Amino acid sequence: MIEVKNISQTYDSRSERDTITDVSLTVRENTITALIGANGAGKSTLLSVMTNLIPAKKGNVTIDGVDVRKIKTSEVAKKVAFLKQTHQLSIKITVRDLVEYGRFPHCGGRLKDTDHAKVNECIDYMNLEELSEKYLDEISGGQRQRAFIAMILAQDTPYIFLDEPLNNLDIKYSVEMMKIVHKLVSELDKTVVIVLHDINFAAAYAGHIVAMKDGKIYKEGTPNEVITTEVLNPVFDHDFHITEHDGKNICLYYD
Amino acid sequence: MVVKSLAKPRNLRAIAVIALLALLIVGATALYIYSRTYANANRLGVTMHPTAFESIMARIRPAMMSMIAASVVLAVVSLSFQTIVRSRVLTPSMIGFDSIFVGTQTVLVFVFGAYSVWFQNPYVNYFVTAGVMITISMFMYSFILRSSKNNVIFLLMFGLILSGIIGSGTRYLQVIMNQSEFFHVQAATMVNVNNINTNIANIAFPIMAVVVVLIVLRHRRLDVMSLGPDQAKSLGIAYERELRLHLILIAVGMSVATALIGSLTFLGLLAVNAAREVMKTHKHLPLFIGSSLMAALTLIAGQAVMELLQGAVPVTVIINLVGCSYIFYLVLKENKT
Ligand SMILES: Nc1ncnc2c1ncn2[C@@H]1O[C@H](COP(=O)(O)OP(=O)(O)OP(=O)(O)O)[C@@H](O)[C@H]1O
Ligand SMILES: [Mg+2]
Repeated sequence: MIEVKNISQTYDSRSERDTITDVSLTVRENTITALIGANGAGKSTLLSVMTNLIPAKKGNVTIDGVDVRKIKTSEVAKKVAFLKQTHQLSIKITVRDLVEYGRFPHCGGRLKDTDHAKVNECIDYMNLEELSEKYLDEISGGQRQRAFIAMILAQDTPYIFLDEPLNNLDIKYSVEMMKIVHKLVSELDKTVVIVLHDINFAAAYAGHIVAMKDGKIYKEGTPNEVITTEVLNPVFDHDFHITEHDGKNICLYYD
Repeated sequence: MVVKSLAKPRNLRAIAVIALLALLIVGATALYIYSRTYANANRLGVTMHPTAFESIMARIRPAMMSMIAASVVLAVVSLSFQTIVRSRVLTPSMIGFDSIFVGTQTVLVFVFGAYSVWFQNPYVNYFVTAGVMITISMFMYSFILRSSKNNVIFLLMFGLILSGIIGSGTRYLQVIMNQSEFFHVQAATMVNVNNINTNIANIAFPIMAVVVVLIVLRHRRLDVMSLGPDQAKSLGIAYERELRLHLILIAVGMSVATALIGSLTFLGLLAVNAAREVMKTHKHLPLFIGSSLMAALTLIAGQAVMELLQGAVPVTVIINLVGCSYIFYLVLKENKT
């Protein structure tokens, strides 16, 4: 179980306002938790703190009751995988090379047959067979995004944090991606925290939604509790129109 | 499985390159030995006597070993440095180790005198010199890592300024010290490829071996670190700890190589980039081997040619000339993308 208690974090120690202030959250097991909120609300920052990429200024994060700062980085990597919002690589590697790095926490870079099998499985899962020997800078943005997701899947951790995984994906792959995430939870018992900008994807697939505004949690609850004009209008500073479809709240946001 | 993964085309290429380089080194070594023995004998019109050959070989052997060891250290240290600072244009020697070396020797003589143990005992002298080099370079490297932008310019500028300051300070001390002390300093600081400081070989070789082994053993971790700090941390690398360890090893390696064989500013940079270019891999293990061989080949072949040409052009001049042009090319190329 991952728990966040009274986290505060800032990038600029001189600034008065913290980037995120006093956030507490319990990640529900075997559930898709969607994180929504406007640009700059602090979603990525919260994920970076939860995955121990940047240490929290105040408060603490625990995995199964143990403070992450007390767990070895190599052990954290076996429990938590994190897809960052942006990826820049300065080296020229192929899709397969990248996915193989996902096995590093388990094999320390010495891939055995089981690791190769896992790599192949993840490449197939993301439909990358034909691209697997291509260099990452020679494929499209969406294909690259799928390659990074394949790497995260190869890491095979119980907790998966995805920061805007639908970036660059077309509609077909976005839906496919969400189906994969759903399968990870329902079939493989994983726990997923996912940042989504398309609220309707959150409404359709998430079991729990956390809405963030100005570095704080504004509201959390089931999709139908969060997808309401009372919550979304202030969170996004925009007028929403909510309708219902198959018993689920869906929102329209064009003027 | 092992056989299959070794047989990947990319690995085959790396293996072929390594084999070719090894062959060329054997050739270059033979040429170097020839240039120091039979070539000289021919020029003087005498026949090479076996005992004379043996006595020349006895002098060549430690020099050869020092050249090879220094090449390996410079190559390994430069590759690790490029990975942790994430730039192909930087090399740890840009700080100007040679001026620090000369400066330390001068200060030792000036403060303690030419006959003090600080200056005369090669080991004491080495540890003091290495300590100074390591302190200054650690300070510098951590500075470069903190200021994320434009560190090429930054490092070059710092190296230039530091060399300038230390150089003029050294010259001032050398002017005001007495003449015999000055000659001692001069003799001690004439360390270069043609005048290797074999006095410290007993201590230099083990230190070099430790540095190389510790860095090369981390090749898999370095592979992951080349994905960038965040990605590496997510994959379980204790990034800050690895970083500090590498910086220390780099500083130690640079100081020992400089004290043994003098400064070869661009050898590491050239060797690493040449290895990348021909091996077309991003994996550190083949690159470590390839760039070490490349560095040794450059140095030995360069020395052989220089001997054959009767020292018309010193090898360091050639390396620096090629290195300078190459770094210029790299900076232009990196700025474009
Ligand atoms: N590396 C950084 N250095 C300094 N400030 C940062 C950094 N990263 C984010 N910030 C600031 O922190 C705040 C929160 O950023 P964060 O990336 O967490 O937002 P977000 O909710 O993920 O936004 P988005 O939807 O645009 O991805 C923003 O105001 C941003 O400017
Ligand atoms: Mg973000």
